[in-house]
Amino acid sequence: MLIVVCIKQVPDTTQVQIDPVTNTLVREGIPFIVNPYDTHALEEALRLKDRFGYRVAALSMGPPNAEATLKKALALGVDRAILLSDRVFGGADTLATSNVLAAAIRKLHDEFDRVGLVLCGKQTIDGDTAQVGPGIASRLNFRQLTLVDRIVNLDSVGRKIRVSRKLEGRHEIVETPLPAMLTVVRELNRPRYPKVPLRLAAAEATVEVWNNQVLKLDEQNIGLKGSPTWVSKIFSPERAKGEILGDGIAEPAAATRMLIDRLLSKDLLAL
Amino acid sequence: MKTLLIGEYREGKLLDSTYELLGFAGQLGAETAMLLVGSDSQLPACGGTLYLADASQCGEYNPDLHKQLILDAVQKENPDYVVFLHSSYGWDLAPRVAAKLRVAQVSEVIGLAEGGFEVGCCNAKMRRTVKPATPKAVITIQAGAFAPQQPGGNPSVQKVTASVMSNVTFTGYEPAEAKDVDLTRAEVIVTAGRGVGKKENVPVIAALAKALGGELGASRPVVDAGWVEHSHQVGTTGQTVSPKLYIACGVSGAIQHLAGMKKSDFIVAINKDKDAPIGEVADVLVVADVLQFVPALTAKL
Repeated sequence: MLIVVCIKQVPDTTQVQIDPVTNTLVREGIPFIVNPYDTHALEEALRLKDRFGYRVAALSMGPPNAEATLKKALALGVDRAILLSDRVFGGADTLATSNVLAAAIRKLHDEFDRVGLVLCGKQTIDGDTAQVGPGIASRLNFRQLTLVDRIVNLDSVGRKIRVSRKLEGRHEIVETPLPAMLTVVRELNRPRYPKVPLRLAAAEATVEVWNNQVLKLDEQNIGLKGSPTWVSKIFSPERAKGEILGDGIAEPAAATRMLIDRLLSKDLLAL
Repeated sequence: MKTLLIGEYREGKLLDSTYELLGFAGQLGAETAMLLVGSDSQLPACGGTLYLADASQCGEYNPDLHKQLILDAVQKENPDYVVFLHSSYGWDLAPRVAAKLRVAQVSEVIGLAEGGFEVGCCNAKMRRTVKPATPKAVITIQAGAFAPQQPGGNPSVQKVTASVMSNVTFTGYEPAEAKDVDLTRAEVIVTAGRGVGKKENVPVIAALAKALGGELGASRPVVDAGWVEHSHQVGTTGQTVSPKLYIACGVSGAIQHLAGMKKSDFIVAINKDKDAPIGEVADVLVVADVLQFVPALTAKL
């Protein structure tokens, strides 16, 4: 059985800055990272590999430099790393993206090994839509299990999986036959660090690149043309700011006094 | 324009957030119909048609069955938008419905904009205006983003049911890990954000919380880094709180955090960056180094 993990290279959103003049994202110098939720999906796939001997393939759709993200997956121990990269994939929204990923998974299934599980992070930290995993499940007609925080049991003989889903204030335990697509939350596991021999091997290993000559998708269903949502504007939100009290850096004592006075006047200190 | 609103019951209770769906439709100026899988012992106070399925038959959540109920209602109502809350329920169900209807989905909408819907991205630093290009669309709205409609009126109830083969077997619920603190009952919460720098500095924030007779809160990055237990997390993936006094220390104010605390009566932000998004909801902002200012404040109390 093959487990496919979908990972995305994202800008480290904790470090993104807004250009005050153009009011757009400053992209230069922002480090790219593996989408943090995807690292948990990757870890879970590797744990299943360690336990059951399954093979693991990592997939990523992105520009050529997303190869770095897949190299990291190789360093952690995935068997295959495939970059889905082509100009015609560009400008894709979630639907067009899931079309490409689903096609690649189908190809792996047909030509390499039977795919039993697809693992994705619960969302990305740049787009925040949480739609790509479910989109893949729908297109492949795999069972969809979102927000998974524990794999309770994977029955490889009976080909079924039982998981815990993290809901508001409780967990839901559900069971479904394979193949299934899981989106995972951080509580699932603690990702490992790459070991030196694997890291060295990864430096030598090649990331396969599949373009649309390989996947042969209709251009109406991919990239900008295949995207039913249009982003008309990206902007920095304007804010009605709270009142700034004093100068806490130059005169901290005065600012402290002002804050205490304000809290007293609001009757908030006697609580 | 017409919306089909998908309300939500949880543990047998109609969620108040159902009125936020109505508020969203109100802002759109749209007609509404609603679908609920619950019970007729608790109905929302609103007008319009209500398709009501019985949760004791259809389950509080059963993805295949609930999807079918929604598709049936879409067939009858022919809405422009099918609208969910961006809860675990909408999270899981909305993309299934969008895929089946072959329409666009816009997730976690926080506002209406000229030519589309406003959504947050990149950790709330940016927003995008997204326009669905299909005739219909599926929308999820962020909790707390739209003012709830005042309850009033009686829906005209049509009982519905569906039967489909489901491949997912529900085997039960388990309670979440015991919380060692119930922030929802706290009158004062002092929250540590990434700006506290490291785990060793958290006691500085905890000391202010103690001096004010309150509880310690934490933002998601602080919990993810293991500095504070998850039970203290404020925000959409933690607890939603509305204390009398909320002091955010070194919290930049990711939209998920703001959604969890913006209903607090009085909000103080202490932050080095006067432009941090937390300023959007704060009543007062002290521009200061948290590690200098907070101990000084605690000492004076």
